[in-house]
Amino acid sequence: MIRRGGAIEREERRLARWLVAPALAFILLGSLVPIVATGWEALHGHDLRLPWLGRPFVGLANFAEATQDPRFTSALVRTVTFAVITVPLELALGLALALIMHTAVHGRALIRLAALLPWAIPTVVAALVWRFMFDAQAGILTAPLRTLGLVGESFDWFVHPLAAWVPIGAADIWKTTPFVAILLLAGLQTIDPVLHEAARMDGAGTVRRFVTMTLPLLRPALVIAAAFRMLDALRLFDVAYVVTGGGPGTATEPLSLYAFIALMQRLRFGYGSALSVTVFLLTFAFALIWVRVLGRSLVGDRM
Amino acid sequence: VLVAAWAAACGERNGTTRLTFSGSALGPEATVVRRQLVRFGERHPGVEVELRVTPDAADQRHQLYVQWLNARAPDPDVLQLDVIWTAEFAGAGWILPLDTFAPDVDDFVPAALAASRWRDTLYAVPWFIDLGLLYWRTDLLPAPPRSLSELRDAARRFRETGTTRFGLVWQGARYEGLITVFLEHLGAFGGGILDARGRVIVDEPAAIRALTFMCDSIRRDGFVPSSVLTWQEEQTRFAFQNGDAAFMRNWPYAWTLLQDGSQSQVANRIAVAPFPAGDEGRPTAALGGAQLAVNAWSANPALAWALVRFLTAPEQMLERARLATQLPSRRSLYDTAALAEALPFPVEQVRRMLDAAVPRPVTPVYSELSEILQVELHRALSGQQAPAAALHEAAREIRTLLARAGLASEEQRR
Repeated sequence: MIRRGGAIEREERRLARWLVAPALAFILLGSLVPIVATGWEALHGHDLRLPWLGRPFVGLANFAEATQDPRFTSALVRTVTFAVITVPLELALGLALALIMHTAVHGRALIRLAALLPWAIPTVVAALVWRFMFDAQAGILTAPLRTLGLVGESFDWFVHPLAAWVPIGAADIWKTTPFVAILLLAGLQTIDPVLHEAARMDGAGTVRRFVTMTLPLLRPALVIAAAFRMLDALRLFDVAYVVTGGGPGTATEPLSLYAFIALMQRLRFGYGSALSVTVFLLTFAFALIWVRVLGRSLVGDRM
Repeated sequence: VLVAAWAAACGERNGTTRLTFSGSALGPEATVVRRQLVRFGERHPGVEVELRVTPDAADQRHQLYVQWLNARAPDPDVLQLDVIWTAEFAGAGWILPLDTFAPDVDDFVPAALAASRWRDTLYAVPWFIDLGLLYWRTDLLPAPPRSLSELRDAARRFRETGTTRFGLVWQGARYEGLITVFLEHLGAFGGGILDARGRVIVDEPAAIRALTFMCDSIRRDGFVPSSVLTWQEEQTRFAFQNGDAAFMRNWPYAWTLLQDGSQSQVANRIAVAPFPAGDEGRPTAALGGAQLAVNAWSANPALAWALVRFLTAPEQMLERARLATQLPSRRSLYDTAALAEALPFPVEQVRRMLDAAVPRPVTPVYSELSEILQVELHRALSGQQAPAAALHEAAREIRTLLARAGLASEEQRR
């Protein structure tokens, strides 16, 4: 069979290569080329506002400057902190939402529609709405707190360096929890109901079944949801840009926003590219570790 | 844009010379500029002037200009520049030095002229100006505050007695407007950002006192609401026109809107004054506005200059004042009855402020300098950093910036 099929197989392989070629070309053009070009730009001193300095090759000087730049290092810390705090919350809320959707008997379609709606709204629109809700003068979330005396007359979410994170976190969690819920719902539906039936026969209560069966069986879905959300959270940009613009000062400025400012406002193409590359490397490193550590054990469990 | 470029390329073939003018053309501004370009064409047979509309948002227009000029595009021939861009464009070699045309500039407002020069060479002609003004309520006070402490005391009193919800409102969001507010406080305390030789002085005692005053206005004395740290021009205008504030720092554009009784509760109860001085300073009005410059790669620089001269002539400025309520940059016009008729604005109150006008730092790296300062000011105003620490940090970063741009060493050489 090997001998007889050799020619055909070779033929098919060649055909396969041709069939894959367009997709590969798109990937190359669409993501690899820009990434390499940005990496190359990051090795140059290039300031559009200072054309008399030219565009000299500076090696890793831009990256060295970033490590000495307090605005960069604090943005890095903020971004990671934000991801570490919001993602577990999104997972917990998403799981609750998924369980509700999964177990609902009546009005299933309506519940799912309501649960998924935030995800369908454009991020910028959602972020704007949240900004208005937290507005110090007219915001519906600020006035009650003021009436109850929980906050002072002059309190303003967007002026306090820590409180300003609340609207950002709220908008981000509200917006992305449905996404987590969908992934987890899919995971829940792969769990064989017979298992639950058997466990119930053996006298396991709801809590016991959830902890010892549902959660472990849901682990693949949880790992994937967490990975997607971490990657997004580490690249946090749009919500922060719309809700606080990074302020007060730079108290809520994530890495991507700083990279954007360096690139598009300061027009420092070299340094801004270096910052963008750093964001890319950071998320890439996270994805790699996540897959290595949790992905492998996942596969191991299944085998 | 492609069509326009193609049209420009074909222009000369038909025996007509085509000039391109680029600027803001929103609402009444469009009417004025179109009318004037047509009149220029009538006076110069064989010349056709095309209006290239650019985005109204300053940042976006700036980005477009940088792209075009970096690519050495020969059009637009004449550019409307924001007052803070001229040094940048001149330093980059993107606009022509104008001294060869022997311009007569004696009549222009000195601050606007200072912003048009880079290294003692004229690169642009002031077109219209904007001034930071202190709006005050004539029903609450018989006369404007004559000093900064009078302003503070009055603002505190109105707030504490509940006469108005806020004492004073200004633009405190982290954007360009914050720099103009800071500039006026700096003037009041006799401080500055860069000195005449381009050295950084924003960490000197006068500047620290100015920023301390601003912080105290919000945090200690409370007559400026902390929400101003998220406010731009319009939010302050809303607060003032609803009668919520006794004083407001804003630009002339607000005047017409505030006098409109259908939306304003303070119509006919307002007046303007320069932002008052403290003991060591002088009343100061931050200078805004626009200038006209000629593209360094223009195919017809002499004709482009003729257009600049035409647009900055007194008649054109008067028409612009009448139709678009923009203040002329020529001093002599403020003594004419024609301007008083043209502007729905107390011209005699404005004339007194022309000498209080102060430009923002004239340097090719202004945008970056401004961004650095915005962040540090905002940190201090929101209580994340002490005023002195914030300004020392800003000064350090600005010095690094000037050194990187090759502008610091040169100042030392001079």
